[in-house]
Amino acid sequence: MKLSNVLATALLASSAFIATAHAQEQVNLTWQMWGDENDTELFTSLADLVTAEYPNIKVTPQFSGWTDYWTRLPVLASSGQIADIVAMQSMRMPSFHSILEPLNPHFEADGFDTSVFEPSIMAGLSHEGTQYALPYDVGPWLVYYNRDKFAAAGLEEPALDWTFDDFKAAAAALTEGQTYGYAVQAFDFIAGPVALGAEYFNDADQFELTNPGYVDAVTKYAELVSVDKVSPVFASGAGAVTGSGHFAAGTAAMYIDGPWVLLQTKDSVDFEIGVAPLPHGEGDSRFITAGSGWGISAASQHKEEAYKALQILTGPKAAEILASAGRALPGRVAEQTYWYDVAAKDVAGTREVLAFMFEHTTPFRINEYWNEFENLITQYMPVALNGDSTPEAVLADIQSQLPF
Amino acid sequence: MAAIDNLPAAPVAARKRWGNRLDRLEARTAFFFLLPGLIGMILFLVVPIVASVVLSFTNWKLLGQPQFVGISNYVRLFTADPQFWPVLRNTLFFTAEYLVLNIVISLGLAVWISSLKYGQKWFRVIFFLPTFTPGIAVAIVWMLIFAPNGFFDFVMGSLSIHMPSMLTDQKLAMQAVVIVSLWAGVGYNTVLFNAALDMVPKNYLEAARIDGANAWDRFWKIRLPLISPTLFFGTVMTAITSLQVFDQIYVMTRGGPGNATATLGYTIYQRGFQNFQMGYASTIAWVMFALIMALTAMQFWLQRKWVHYDN
Repeated sequence: MKLSNVLATALLASSAFIATAHAQEQVNLTWQMWGDENDTELFTSLADLVTAEYPNIKVTPQFSGWTDYWTRLPVLASSGQIADIVAMQSMRMPSFHSILEPLNPHFEADGFDTSVFEPSIMAGLSHEGTQYALPYDVGPWLVYYNRDKFAAAGLEEPALDWTFDDFKAAAAALTEGQTYGYAVQAFDFIAGPVALGAEYFNDADQFELTNPGYVDAVTKYAELVSVDKVSPVFASGAGAVTGSGHFAAGTAAMYIDGPWVLLQTKDSVDFEIGVAPLPHGEGDSRFITAGSGWGISAASQHKEEAYKALQILTGPKAAEILASAGRALPGRVAEQTYWYDVAAKDVAGTREVLAFMFEHTTPFRINEYWNEFENLITQYMPVALNGDSTPEAVLADIQSQLPF
Repeated sequence: MAAIDNLPAAPVAARKRWGNRLDRLEARTAFFFLLPGLIGMILFLVVPIVASVVLSFTNWKLLGQPQFVGISNYVRLFTADPQFWPVLRNTLFFTAEYLVLNIVISLGLAVWISSLKYGQKWFRVIFFLPTFTPGIAVAIVWMLIFAPNGFFDFVMGSLSIHMPSMLTDQKLAMQAVVIVSLWAGVGYNTVLFNAALDMVPKNYLEAARIDGANAWDRFWKIRLPLISPTLFFGTVMTAITSLQVFDQIYVMTRGGPGNATATLGYTIYQRGFQNFQMGYASTIAWVMFALIMALTAMQFWLQRKWVHYDN
């Protein structure tokens, strides 16, 4: 009996050991991104694609709200609790590239073809020539307009190459009492001037907000509010989002945002919407894009597996799922068609407008002080809109606080 | 026993210093009972405070290694930062206005409630309600009320009062913050002062009335001096919280328009958690701490002139 007991114990122990050895091959990756519980199902289905391809890799998504995500990210990174796969937005890349693994050596090792992605967002997710993330979505800032209001006012719908004067004339014609032709938001003072040909940086990528070109372009947009009164003033507390509210409520006929809000905008309005490129100035049309992607944490213990997973998560099937759900206009050019056919099928002009805009993209120039700049625009620009100050003085004030 | 007798002399001396064996045992037991609290305090209070002092002398950006930069953060704050003095001015302006209005209104309400024959309890509950309503939720609702073309503008328009929208005007934005803070903060002091007023011995007031003192005299010469310790407590606490004002500003104005509502509390958040300048944010936090200490010390010094302790 004793001998059999010993043998049985030995067998049990060895089988346990085999089980452990087998489990060690299993790699569990964490994947952190912004979103809420509504996103769980969609992103879990993406994670399942990874396990279907590589049965030993399991990816678990973890969500936090958009604002919290950016507060938590540096804290998690500096305390070593960061996930293996990390979501990153193009505009935050200069601040956070150091926590991500450079992807170029991986691309070289397996000959990965990056040309399937839209070039402007590949540039957006790189820093000083090094790629740190692969994109899942992309989009330029564009003009959303209320087609019913355009028809009611007897206006022609915007042309692809409409100018600022056309835009201003349309806004004026659509303004009546408390109903405005346009609702300005903080970011318009960045995307708008760039489309007009202005630069907020000098050649060394440092802020130079008081250069005549930028002051002039910002003044044009600011005067739509302070002089022409075709847009309401935004309050600094909610400067980044008031335009969408006015647009959805029907109190403004146009506003500027990205394709990432198209699905929710379409669902929250009871009128026909259309999209148009941002108006251009004297020169050619030019547009900046933004988007988000996923990178590999520099602190990950499983970089090879994370790279494999990343390729699936930004692969064609995943892009098709996200595009069909309307969650993202894919960073992969070929799969963008799913977004046009499904999410944007009721919105006039999306395919033509976005194709035109992608043809005319200009690099979105940012540096490590970008967030401060955006926050200061939101905080200070209302003073130029309500007539208390001039755009030039406001820009000088913001410049004096940058970079610090 | 032999082992104990053979102990060297030093522990015996130590034993004397610590009293007898029973005391020693009790002290040890007490130490272990206090340990959980002590560990918590050291971990979550002492260490962070010390860390923030150290941080204020570095350029830590949350990511990467902090570098020691000496007092340059403090030099920059007082000499180079164009925003520091406006922010300090805003903070003191808010504190002064809010403190005076809060104390006057809450004292007025407390006196009114204590004069009621019926329904005192109900009014106390009603005025106390905002105190346990989350500050962020309160601020969001008020932001919607004050938003351009929002409810407040609608009411003013209906009354044919033409005024700029509260949150987009540089002068009115701070007043909007004060109004919201008052709505949220008056109830606590009201209940506090009301309780103090109820504690004033009835026979003092009775005696004064018989001697011919009118209601005005009874308030200024009897009730107010008798509740002055509570009044002092309320003033000190309200001053401290108003110097730290953050929630309302974060939600309603983000320090704007311009720098009209930028206060020390909001600036610390902005520098630390938006711009990731943890070292510089710590510096501002310590300046705020010093300011609160100084003003509170001043209030304690001034209390000798007006606070009466009955016993």
